[in-house]
Amino acid sequence: MTFDAKAFIVEQVEAIPKQVPGKAIIACSGGVDSTTAAVLASRALGDRLLAVYVDTGLMRKHETEDVARTLKDLKVNHRILRAADEFFAALRGIVDPEKKRVIIGNKFVELFEREAKPFGADHLVQGTIAPDWIESGGQLRDRIKTHHNVAGLPPNMKVKLVEPLRDLYKDEVRAVARALGVRVAERQPFPGPGLAVRIVGEVTPDKAALVRDASAIVEEEIEAAAKDKRLALPWQYFAVLLPIQTVGVHGDLRVYGQTIAVRAVDSIDGMTAVYSKIPHEVLDRISTRITNEVPGINRVVYDASNKPPATIEWE
Amino acid sequence: MRVYVVDNGGQWTHREWRVLKYLGVDTKIVPNDSPMSDLQGLDGLVLSGGAPRVGIDPEKMGKNGEYLDAFDGPILGICAGHQFMATHLGGAAAPAKVPEFGKSVLKVHHPDVLFEGLPDRFEVWESHNDEVTVLPPDFTALASSPNCSVQAMRHRERPLFGLQFHPEVEHTQFGSDIFRNFLKVCENSTEHEVLGA
Repeated sequence: MTFDAKAFIVEQVEAIPKQVPGKAIIACSGGVDSTTAAVLASRALGDRLLAVYVDTGLMRKHETEDVARTLKDLKVNHRILRAADEFFAALRGIVDPEKKRVIIGNKFVELFEREAKPFGADHLVQGTIAPDWIESGGQLRDRIKTHHNVAGLPPNMKVKLVEPLRDLYKDEVRAVARALGVRVAERQPFPGPGLAVRIVGEVTPDKAALVRDASAIVEEEIEAAAKDKRLALPWQYFAVLLPIQTVGVHGDLRVYGQTIAVRAVDSIDGMTAVYSKIPHEVLDRISTRITNEVPGINRVVYDASNKPPATIEWE
Repeated sequence: MRVYVVDNGGQWTHREWRVLKYLGVDTKIVPNDSPMSDLQGLDGLVLSGGAPRVGIDPEKMGKNGEYLDAFDGPILGICAGHQFMATHLGGAAAPAKVPEFGKSVLKVHHPDVLFEGLPDRFEVWESHNDEVTVLPPDFTALASSPNCSVQAMRHRERPLFGLQFHPEVEHTQFGSDIFRNFLKVCENSTEHEVLGA
């Protein structure tokens, strides 16, 4: 026996209305988990559901336009909020990764509750999956990191939580997404706190722009190589901006620039992962493009760590 | 078949539940302070790994000791569950000289039902600070890794098994086969009523 996505869908479309007698909003980042939860909840609740996407300023390139299109195509009732300034203001001066995650989780709920009120919703549907609550810890379980949608929720939250995907891992969510016809079913995972946890150190709009551009290059090159069968598409692949300056030489001039770490891993469920064996010529192209196209970056390193002992994201 | 997973706070407790579910088992994760009466009629028990350091804070292992004493069916202890099995039954566990995190290679020295049909060397995943340093009486060590001599053990008469590595994670080779072999033991075990409950 393996996982039966169709049976799961039937079960949840029946179960969700029992948990939500009135209206609900769903937090939708455009990733696989929340989009799948949105489609499930939309089937279960119809126009009693409002999907809310927040542009935090910490999203990938073209993400907001892309999410708007996905939600439109799936005919899910939705709203797009632009809140980059609020997020950057809340994160000013914050270096500790756990503090970043809590601030972001709190900010999300503040915005969702602001939207829930006029819509008349008293429930919040989230695409929380097993690793989110496992790694967030509690009682005997140690907290590996605060997942914004679990341990990052404020204690005084008013809306009640509904989490239909709680017992699933990413591979199972993808099976549900495929069965529901969700376009982003195969999309690589992206953390809820977004680029904030891919900037080691303080988060600023400038740094977010650097890591966003570098990540777009990593994605383009790895996806192109996978398309030509030069490598198997990793489970996740992205750039991390490090708080280290190192020396370089650009056009006979000394530079003292910043460093990008490239991370790519193979996994099934996110609970264990091995670093991807990216061919050197692909790494070479990524490195040359980042150091030429992203101003201020003069060094690129590759992260060769497995999970455990590392985690997939750096923070 | 019903086999429950006793949750000792592991990152991979829920993975154990998933593997058992995929193998068609009626399974549930239960807190490690569940009363013995909750384990009535089970065909087997898995004691999960977890954050507690068995040697330092054994009280966090809840009623695992009671389960080992009173549950007469097969028990599979994993990581902290394995270390606790050793200390509770008269052996010892202590901080490992070389803790293992991530990829390692298992060498099976002693053929056993748990490794039936498997090669004698394969890749396993680890995540532990402590290890079994003294085997309990009546136990046999079955397998090792380069940095840990007791990667697997079993009681010579009772169906008690301990594994230091994690058969429940995707990256461990033959992980489901090990669970399948454990389930065979559960199936064949004739006396699995709860004693003294």
